[in-house]
Amino acid sequence: MTNVPILKIEHLGHAYGKFQVINDISLEIPKGELTALIGPNGAGKTTFYNVVSGRFPPSKGKVFFDGQEITGRPAHKIVPLGMLRSFQITNIFPELSVRENVLIPLLLQHRRGYTFFRPLSREKQLYQKADEVLSKIGILEYGDKPARELAYGDKRLVEMAIVLARKPKLVLLDEPTAGMNPEETERMILLIKELAERFGTTFFLTEHDMKVVFSIAKQIFVLHQGGLLATGTPEEIRASPQVREAYLGGGTIKC
Amino acid sequence: MKKQPNYPKTGIFLIFLIGFLIGCPFFLPTYWTFILGEILIMALFSMSFNLLLGYSGLLSFGQAGFFGVGAYAAALLILKGWQSLSLILLVGVFSAALAAVVIGFLCVRRDEIYFAMITLGFGMMLFTIAHNWIELTGGSDGLPLAALPTLRLPGLELSLFDPRNMYLFILAVFLAGIFLLWRLVRSPFGLILTAVRENKERLAFVGADVRMVRLTAFTIAGGLAGLSGALFCLFNSMATPDFMHWSYSARPILMTILGGSGVFLGPAFGAAVFFLLEQVITHITDNWMIFLGAILIPVVIFFPQGILGTIVKYFDREQETDRQ
Repeated sequence: MTNVPILKIEHLGHAYGKFQVINDISLEIPKGELTALIGPNGAGKTTFYNVVSGRFPPSKGKVFFDGQEITGRPAHKIVPLGMLRSFQITNIFPELSVRENVLIPLLLQHRRGYTFFRPLSREKQLYQKADEVLSKIGILEYGDKPARELAYGDKRLVEMAIVLARKPKLVLLDEPTAGMNPEETERMILLIKELAERFGTTFFLTEHDMKVVFSIAKQIFVLHQGGLLATGTPEEIRASPQVREAYLGGGTIKC
Repeated sequence: MKKQPNYPKTGIFLIFLIGFLIGCPFFLPTYWTFILGEILIMALFSMSFNLLLGYSGLLSFGQAGFFGVGAYAAALLILKGWQSLSLILLVGVFSAALAAVVIGFLCVRRDEIYFAMITLGFGMMLFTIAHNWIELTGGSDGLPLAALPTLRLPGLELSLFDPRNMYLFILAVFLAGIFLLWRLVRSPFGLILTAVRENKERLAFVGADVRMVRLTAFTIAGGLAGLSGALFCLFNSMATPDFMHWSYSARPILMTILGGSGVFLGPAFGAAVFFLLEQVITHITDNWMIFLGAILIPVVIFFPQGILGTIVKYFDREQETDRQ
């Protein structure tokens, strides 16, 4: 069973009206392999993520997660299987405390979402788990603060904590370092690497910062005008004339 | 909304408040006992409404529909000769919750203004049914009740036509309703509800069925609106279509905004302010709605968190500076 890819996409396509945003994409991601999806703006990366993660159903094609077909399932039915995602624009619960932000996925995972009468404060175990996640991400000190009060980079870490709380098998990260300063970017990269190594979580991320991509990805997919342009290791992608063509009209990829 | 545990003073204050409320009918004139009873009913109605507005971020314009369903259920059962008040209230709650689950199924798919408009539409439909199905509801005359069941306690039989007994009965049901709501907003479900308000997309993407959470909240709010409606039917000895008119749905909205949707007791406070203002101003002029408007507008502009919301925030800040 270890050979089953964590994610397998077959001939995936999505159109808004007549405009084909992504077209006939097929790919596989082996378990544990840190994978990146790159491509110029408007290549269809976010649409691809939205279709895979269940934000909306694809017009064509199939999605398999860990050997199970999940095509067209809504997000809340995909998440329990172990696939979670982050968003390009930080997506957290701003008025709630950082700890509560992490508690929410834990409550749902442990089927406490419909507990009506027992006080939340009795869920000691879940509070403890939430704190473990926060300390793993390095934001435990902000536990009691409303999430909106945190600095931008820390808010992105809160979203990471939300995503990781349910111990997912696969995490889709949509531009995890977008808008971060170099120091925060460095911290995020280290964190992703560490989590991938220590917990065997598979990360699949999009990124426009090539430095980030080439420093952590083992496998890279290049998306161009809605189609898959190239697949390979960082070295292969860097050397690919097609990729250079797509990105810079024949120049070099800055990295 | 979540800071209450560090407020030992709040507990003492609440015990005094409850004691005061119990004592009221023994020193207030009968007229004011009636007013206070109505305030309690509307406070419960507004607080059930605020489970949607303040906690889940859903503005419903149709809550009077469920209030009315509870009232008519109670009236019909009493006319059939039911004697058990607790059963009458229970059926009131369940019939309103049933109406809410059916209507909610269609409403929770939409957000914001669309949600508000759909609930308004259904509220108007319920009103029309109450108004025009004369065989069942008595049409625009409503269902007047010549007799009310007696309140039976161990070793005690009390007539609800005595204003004092009626008031204490309302107070008991009110406190039970508030206790339920209090436990609910402090439960895991309560946190999930606030998460719907905060960011429904993030919530869906950590594994919650947002529609289902909303539908559950809508059903509970509808059931409690039905409880207040059934109480109101007993209080007035009748059920009329007026209870379901869309302008009646505006009342919990006004009261909640007046008191503050971000504080647990805000809507109840708003209900009290609403009725006290009505009493004071109608003494002076018939056009009291003009004055209500004149008060509401500055509240919304300068104190968007409502009157109680602003007070609580002020004391929070005081405590904060004390600690530093």
